[in-house]
Amino acid sequence: MTSVPANKQQASADPSPPTVAVSGEGDRLALAGALEIVTLDAARGALKKWSKQGPSRALDIAGLDSLDTPGALFLCGLKDKGVKLTGIRAEHRALLDLICGLDLKPLPKVESVPRWRQFVIQLGKGAHDARHDALDLITFVGRAANWTVCSLLHPYCLRPASISRHIAETGIQALPIIGLMAIMIAIVIGYQGVAQLRPYGGEDLTINLVAVSVLREMAVLITSIMVAGRSGSAFTAEIGVMQTREEVDALKVMGIEPMQVLVVPRVIALVITLPLLTFFADMMGLIGGAAIAQALLDVSPTQYLTRLPQVVDGSDLFVGLFKAPVFAFFIAIIGCMHGLRVTGSAESVGKETTRAVVKSIFLVLVLDAFFSILFEKLGV
Amino acid sequence: MTTRVTAQAGTILAARGIVNRFGKQVVHDKLSLEIVRGEIIGIAGGSGSGKSVLLKTLVGLREPDAGDVLLNGKPVLSIGAAEKAALFGVLFQQGALFSSLSVAQNIMLPMREHTALPAKEQEQIAAMKLALAGLQADTGIKFPAALSGGMVKRAAFARALALDPKILFLDEPTSDLDPIAAGGIDALIRQLNDSLGITVVIVTHDLTTLFTVCGRIAVLVDRKVTVDTAEKLMKSDHPWIHEFFHGPRAEGAMKARKISHGK
Repeated sequence: MTSVPANKQQASADPSPPTVAVSGEGDRLALAGALEIVTLDAARGALKKWSKQGPSRALDIAGLDSLDTPGALFLCGLKDKGVKLTGIRAEHRALLDLICGLDLKPLPKVESVPRWRQFVIQLGKGAHDARHDALDLITFVGRAANWTVCSLLHPYCLRPASISRHIAETGIQALPIIGLMAIMIAIVIGYQGVAQLRPYGGEDLTINLVAVSVLREMAVLITSIMVAGRSGSAFTAEIGVMQTREEVDALKVMGIEPMQVLVVPRVIALVITLPLLTFFADMMGLIGGAAIAQALLDVSPTQYLTRLPQVVDGSDLFVGLFKAPVFAFFIAIIGCMHGLRVTGSAESVGKETTRAVVKSIFLVLVLDAFFSILFEKLGV
Repeated sequence: MTTRVTAQAGTILAARGIVNRFGKQVVHDKLSLEIVRGEIIGIAGGSGSGKSVLLKTLVGLREPDAGDVLLNGKPVLSIGAAEKAALFGVLFQQGALFSSLSVAQNIMLPMREHTALPAKEQEQIAAMKLALAGLQADTGIKFPAALSGGMVKRAAFARALALDPKILFLDEPTSDLDPIAAGGIDALIRQLNDSLGITVVIVTHDLTTLFTVCGRIAVLVDRKVTVDTAEKLMKSDHPWIHEFFHGPRAEGAMKARKISHGK
């Protein structure tokens, strides 16, 4: 047993790097050693000048101890140029016969496209895809809305088990992170508010600022973005993986509509969950506001609570909560749509997931801007 | 076949006292296996008998819970990455071609990492490996997603051969292939073994491959391995081995063996 380290050392030192040697003169050369992928460059270099000379040359390879396929390819190349190979060992003959017998063609060149043309092509493709995407989205929204309403009208089509699972996954499990983020955002707004309003002696207004912005915008936005990243992507990945494993096709063959079992439960679950999560984020944001008020303004929680009804009213809460189900609908729809768009490969699952998240967050912000203008005009 | 093996006798890869377990489930219990230089050995066994786990252990992708695997007397787990790449070629069951690279780039990847050959030469070698695996040169610029099942296997074969390995491990090389493609793969394995002298380890339950290609067969039963030639295994009185070699499917495979040996 004591000899093990010695053995090991020997074993690692033993395989000295293979070398190749060229000997002889004039038309007749001999190759000895190992002609392998690692010695190929050396052999080529040594034979370079020689191989340019005229015909009737011979290369003796009886001294070759080992030969691999790239080596054999090199020898076949020489043979094609008129070099006669002599002294081929029996064990090399089969290999040489095999490699020389291959019908070798160079790899076709991939056509390179100039940069400017690539740009134009991408622009065109992008525009085409955008149009395609928009049409797809509209169609899908229509189909999903149709199936959702249909399921609601015929409650026996609803899948309560599936819906409750999605509510648990998208809602209950998201509570800690969303609560934490709502508190954080309230603290951020609070600090900025105090810093900006103090020079004007209006730092008391920070409470208004935090409460209004959390209730109207921040809570619902943060929640939606979090849910889009967390659950929208999960929808795409789940449905996408089912798509790659042909599970979606299996559903269709069984006469079960994927829209009904995969999309509708997710849409309903998220439409239920997101307003609840938003309300939770509202509360946590207000608690964060209370902490800021205590820390920076010396307003006690009791005072804070009495101030609150004066600075915000039901409409602020309503504006935030009203937007939540709309955002939820689109997040779920986009997640499911991209999931169903996955084609065979696992790669496309990743691609579609990225797209779904980017698109749903983008759409949430666009819709939010739209709602801001709408509520402003309506005077809510 | 067997004469060849004895002529070049010498163990290239030895597994000694391998124990693999997942939780309480023991897959291999002090299993020992010796693979002889230049042979084609098949590893057979029922589903869940730990064929793939054994393959992973032999290649050094999985550290066994006990026992060791020695390559030329040196523990597999201690072999450096570059050295290992030149010694082992593995054909994974699903091909495991990198989907972001073209087939030719897949084949050139190990060459690019471990040799200093100029790009043009690498391309030549890649084209040669493609031809060796029975693929057209224009398959080289295709991406794995555009290949059929049989072509994926062949392309993966070409990549496994990239650095002229000494041992080729094939995990289910003929599964999901039509009989013609599977026959082509069988012929390819034999040809590579004959002309390159590569030691081949095949994990399969394709009886035709086992009977027509493999010199010896290692059957995984009862967490151990029984190694012998097909003829001797057929006479085994172990119920599972008997069933395996005498089922209705085995009859057809035996016929194929007679045909191919008759040639």
